[in-house]
Amino acid sequence: MIQLKEIVKTYRLGEVSVPVLRGIDLIIDRGEYTAIMGASGSGKSTLMNIIGCLERPTSGGYWLNGQDITQLSDDELADIRNYQIGFVFQQFNLLPRLNALENVMLPMVYAGYSKIERQQRAEEVLVQVGLSDRMTNRPSQLSGGQQQRVAIARALVNHPELLLADEPTGALDTKTSHEVMDLITTLNQQGITALIVTHELDIARQTRRIIQLQDGLIQQSDTSFNHDLGTRTK
Amino acid sequence: MKLFNQTSKRLSTQPLYTNRRRRKLNMGETIGLAWSSLLANKLRSILTMLGIIIGIAAVIAMVTIGRGAQAQTERQLKSLGSNLLFVQSGVALTGSPASQGAGSATTLTWEDAQAIASTCTSVSATAPVLNVRAQVVRSELNTNTFIVGTTPEFVQVRDFLPLTGRFFNQADVEQVARVAVLGQTVVGNLGLTADNAVGQTIRIQGEEFFIIGTMEYKGSSQFRDQDDQVMIPITTIASRIVGVNSLQGISVNNISVSAKSPEEMDAAQFQITNLLRLRHQIVPPRSDDFIVRNQADLVSASNAVSRIFTALLGGSAAISLVVGGIGIMNIMFVSVSERTREIGIRRAIGARSSDILWQFLIESIVLSLSGGVLGIILGVTTSSLINLALGWQIGVALDSILISLSVCLGIGIFFGAYPARKAARLTPIAALRSD
Ligand SMILES: Nc1ncnc2c1ncn2[C@@H]1O[C@H](COP(=O)(O)OP(=O)(O)OP(=O)(O)O)[C@@H](O)[C@H]1O
Ligand SMILES: [Mg+2]
Repeated sequence: MIQLKEIVKTYRLGEVSVPVLRGIDLIIDRGEYTAIMGASGSGKSTLMNIIGCLERPTSGGYWLNGQDITQLSDDELADIRNYQIGFVFQQFNLLPRLNALENVMLPMVYAGYSKIERQQRAEEVLVQVGLSDRMTNRPSQLSGGQQQRVAIARALVNHPELLLADEPTGALDTKTSHEVMDLITTLNQQGITALIVTHELDIARQTRRIIQLQDGLIQQSDTSFNHDLGTRTK
Repeated sequence: MKLFNQTSKRLSTQPLYTNRRRRKLNMGETIGLAWSSLLANKLRSILTMLGIIIGIAAVIAMVTIGRGAQAQTERQLKSLGSNLLFVQSGVALTGSPASQGAGSATTLTWEDAQAIASTCTSVSATAPVLNVRAQVVRSELNTNTFIVGTTPEFVQVRDFLPLTGRFFNQADVEQVARVAVLGQTVVGNLGLTADNAVGQTIRIQGEEFFIIGTMEYKGSSQFRDQDDQVMIPITTIASRIVGVNSLQGISVNNISVSAKSPEEMDAAQFQITNLLRLRHQIVPPRSDDFIVRNQADLVSASNAVSRIFTALLGGSAAISLVVGGIGIMNIMFVSVSERTREIGIRRAIGARSSDILWQFLIESIVLSLSGGVLGIILGVTTSSLINLALGWQIGVALDSILISLSVCLGIGIFFGAYPARKAARLTPIAALRSD
């Protein structure tokens, strides 16, 4: 599903160029559940942003569902972000003036759905993430965990095949972190391809594959350890 | 897990909505979005609109006042009599119909007036006017007014009829009769009424005059209060009041001429000019010692005043609108930088840069148009008050409202374009990183 070939990302700060990703090769299949780990500054977010079509690589190839992303225009990238990818951020990134339902409906506005379709579908997803009784709350009237679930609902609303989450539990306490991870795990079990960035091994262990990033290179792509998803959540 | 068990069935079902090609954004919703974001900053929005409000109000008031003044002028000129031409003594300064010399020297005579009436085929009648300011006394009351010496044709030429009694006739002129016809202002100033004035006597410069009639109300024009004058036969004023008999006969200040029809005004003017040049023996290089003016000249002279006024109002309206537009641009820049993160979020979930462009452009247009609507309300109110104060009956023209709205639309687009473009050009990731 995701195919990265020698992805390089170099930032330019005046005269000096800062290499952040220095040749990433990575293949992620449909339905996989993957965690990216690595020290701060190792380039995890940069990699996620490239996979999420928020940024373009400096060089290298990126195919999503067989489509060559590097050849697409900005508008086409926007469309891919709109309905092929759901992105979840550490800081939730909800619009403060909109309530939960309106936030979830937003991607559907840009997809061109009618108001009724949007309302119906957004309610459906909010029920899925367990927020049926918080639909008209604004982000400021929700807890961190609830806000992140609204953000996940928003990511899901246009039926993406790929869910990207950059430190989705980074701003949450341990208990709500696990609730959010349980939700993502459930979604993966139901078929969505999930890729998360995390600092915590405890969180990463819930996935099936851990990628270690160091200084812009993949150090280790580990699928050998055994995830016992069932036991912990019981 | 309990939380999700109940919903897991739903999640596994086939999606109800398949990925589809995007449609254009709904304009109504974009406008609604702009509204809500302006309402979120009510005071700021109102203050931003102020320049537009004042500018548009000035435009509406300007148009109303301009039209009112013009209608007023036309009404006044019409009250002078139809097809009216004025021949005045004096030397015409080049290109200036309102030259200072006009009427100061007395080169015209009563005979000129008679000659014009009998010779010029496009002229139906002439009325010579010899006037002077004088004190009019009746018992202990007195008033300073214009004494107009003229002939009976005055009634026809000026379209000015007696209200009570009668105007003097040809016999009165021939007999140098001491008869007077009073304008209503004079009647009032002398403590009389239109009904009891006839038959009374007044004194003009010590000479006793018999009131034989009063004139209808005419109202004031910017030329003269036509109700504040006393008409006496031209022979009487020449021999008893002024006494400027030139060699050619009785000198007059001006001659009012009525052309046979509006179409013959130009012909009449031409004929009069030629006739008077002949009579006054004017050959080059001598220049004319008279001026023939038609109503169009008078209208354009008086319109010049209202045009200056209109231009002043228009200028301040334009400045106000430009300042208002810059205010909108400024606040849109503020809005863009305040909402950079919002822009980033919208881009991240699939908004194209054109969606962002429209969002901010529409917001600027809504801001400007709202200012325009408030400005129209203010302008219409002001215009109504002006109408009320001046007793005009000038409605606010629909076209000035439509023009105002299109100007506002233009301002919204022009001054909103740059901030909106700035917003649209932000890259998703740069916008998301801002706080
Ligand atoms: N726009 C940018 N301009 C310059 N340098 C950048 C830019 N974005 C990121 N970097 C640099 O790239 C490196 C990797 O950043 P990135 O955010 O990908 O790290 P990360 O692994 O996500 O770190 P963290 O765990 O702290 O989130 C950092 O050294 C950062 O300073
Ligand atoms: Mg990061």
